Amino acid sequence: MKNLVNEEEISEVAKLMKIDLADHNDHIKRVQKMLEYFDILDNAGVESEEITVQETDLDKLRDDKYNPYDKNLLKFLKSYQGKYVKAPKLN
Amino acid sequence: MDLGISALSYVNSIKNAEFTVEEFISKSLERINQVDEKLHAFLRVNDLVIKNAREIDTKIKSNQNVGKCYGMPISVKDNICIEGSKTTCASKVLENFVAPYTSTVISKLNSEDAIIIGKTNLDEFAMGFSTEFSAYGPSRNPWNTDYVPGGSSGGSGVSVSANECIASLGSDTGGSIRNPASFCSVVGLKPTYGLVSRYGLVSYANSIEQIGPLTKTVEDSAFLLNIISGIDSNDNTTVDNKNQDYLNNIDAGISGKKIGIVTEMTNSEGLSTDVLNATNDAVKTFEKLGANCEQVSLQMIPYTVAAYYTITSTEAGSNLARYDNIRYGYEFDSSGFEFNSYISQARSKLGPEVIRRMILGGFVPSAGHAGKYFLKALKVKSKLIAEINHVFEKFDFLISSTVPIQPFKFGEKIQDPVSLMMVDFNTVTANLTGIPAISVPYKITNGLPIGIQIMANCLEEHSLLQAAYALEKTVDLPKVPV
Repeated sequence: MKNLVNEEEISEVAKLMKIDLADHNDHIKRVQKMLEYFDILDNAGVESEEITVQETDLDKLRDDKYNPYDKNLLKFLKSYQGKYVKAPKLN
Repeated sequence: MDLGISALSYVNSIKNAEFTVEEFISKSLERINQVDEKLHAFLRVNDLVIKNAREIDTKIKSNQNVGKCYGMPISVKDNICIEGSKTTCASKVLENFVAPYTSTVISKLNSEDAIIIGKTNLDEFAMGFSTEFSAYGPSRNPWNTDYVPGGSSGGSGVSVSANECIASLGSDTGGSIRNPASFCSVVGLKPTYGLVSRYGLVSYANSIEQIGPLTKTVEDSAFLLNIISGIDSNDNTTVDNKNQDYLNNIDAGISGKKIGIVTEMTNSEGLSTDVLNATNDAVKTFEKLGANCEQVSLQMIPYTVAAYYTITSTEAGSNLARYDNIRYGYEFDSSGFEFNSYISQARSKLGPEVIRRMILGGFVPSAGHAGKYFLKALKVKSKLIAEINHVFEKFDFLISSTVPIQPFKFGEKIQDPVSLMMVDFNTVTANLTGIPAISVPYKITNGLPIGIQIMANCLEEHSLLQAAYALEKTVDLPKVPV
């Protein structure tokens, strides 16, 4: 029998992602369906497989030097004061 | 004047003074005005194109150095940044976002005197395969406007297919260049990961996405790849291709080459009979051209779609966390809000597919679930890379249809997330393994296009384009009906 991921678990993750599911309850069923499909990964037989990672040699990175950035990015923000970005209050 | 000409023919015509850049650009604008209300390939058209065209005409007339593009109109997917102009990713959250810098690919095109004619439609943040997830409404397939054009670079595919421009740049995370290329009957190339700089491409899943061309011919893809490829200090994943000329010897043929027909992509559950017939036909064509074709099995293929969605959602969850309404967002004040509720309020305006991928992207790598989903997906990816490396010891190319089905009608798949995911069954392998893959227009069946996908080993674009060119030369397709 298929073991569906329960709605509470998905809702909890949504909350941590700062997504308000009040407007989005219809999404849970679709996310559940997608996760159910991902169960296919259990059949791949890759448990003992090593995860390979992409490596970049340090000499391929650009020089570690300061490049002044002269464009005023703050002006693209809607809400700022002086050098500071305005954000809502943290509880 | 034929707006359907290739990039190479355009350059020759300009050099032979058959028409001016301004004349061609004006005609292209007329064409956009004529057809785009119906097709909706473009989100915005560049107001400065006539001025740009005149500047290039002046350079040509006064015998100054002119870049290789000679003012050809190129459209660009709206997730690639151009300084001072809007880049929306077809999302409401970036409706008013003006890019503060220019992507490397655009700088390279500009330095070769290309004219960026406009920004094209996509599924919101490039998540989707039909443009039905664009916050500004879908694009329509020029072959039959009741059908989707594919995605996510759907607007790019439509703009080239409908002769609104000469070529386009798209991005491909799981097939987003090749899928619309196949659905709209144009050539679409996803280069090797790292061959083209991603600097200035709005990130969705950075470990696998690439910018690439959508063009009218294989030669045009080679022409554009010559311009946009190469190492870039602003993207440390780029590789040095030593300025390889991909157009050189493109007509070398494929006699004696070994081609693997990917078994799992020719017997998959969702594969349509018409698409399978076209694929078998393409195999026969390759054999007639002197290639040796045989079946090859890659055991990890059945798990690639699940692995792909797991990995890309995880990266999307992280990349899209920046749309918090503080740095990017809407016109509403933060006063009166508590931090989390303010950000939630902002995110509630993201489209449904983006919301779902963000939830998935939070879930699959989270404590308690990572072992089942994310880590297993990475292991599938590693094993798939090993299989691909092994296969390319024996074969020069792999072949399949680009998409297991032909274009579908609007609304047909959007309600079923799993059947929508299966649309990318044949394309995600190239993304997960980093190899290059190209879609070549091959057939029109029931009035709708079918593309054939050819894949090659990493950085083998030169031979991949030769194979694609050989296949292209065997087909003679009808003209787009719009």
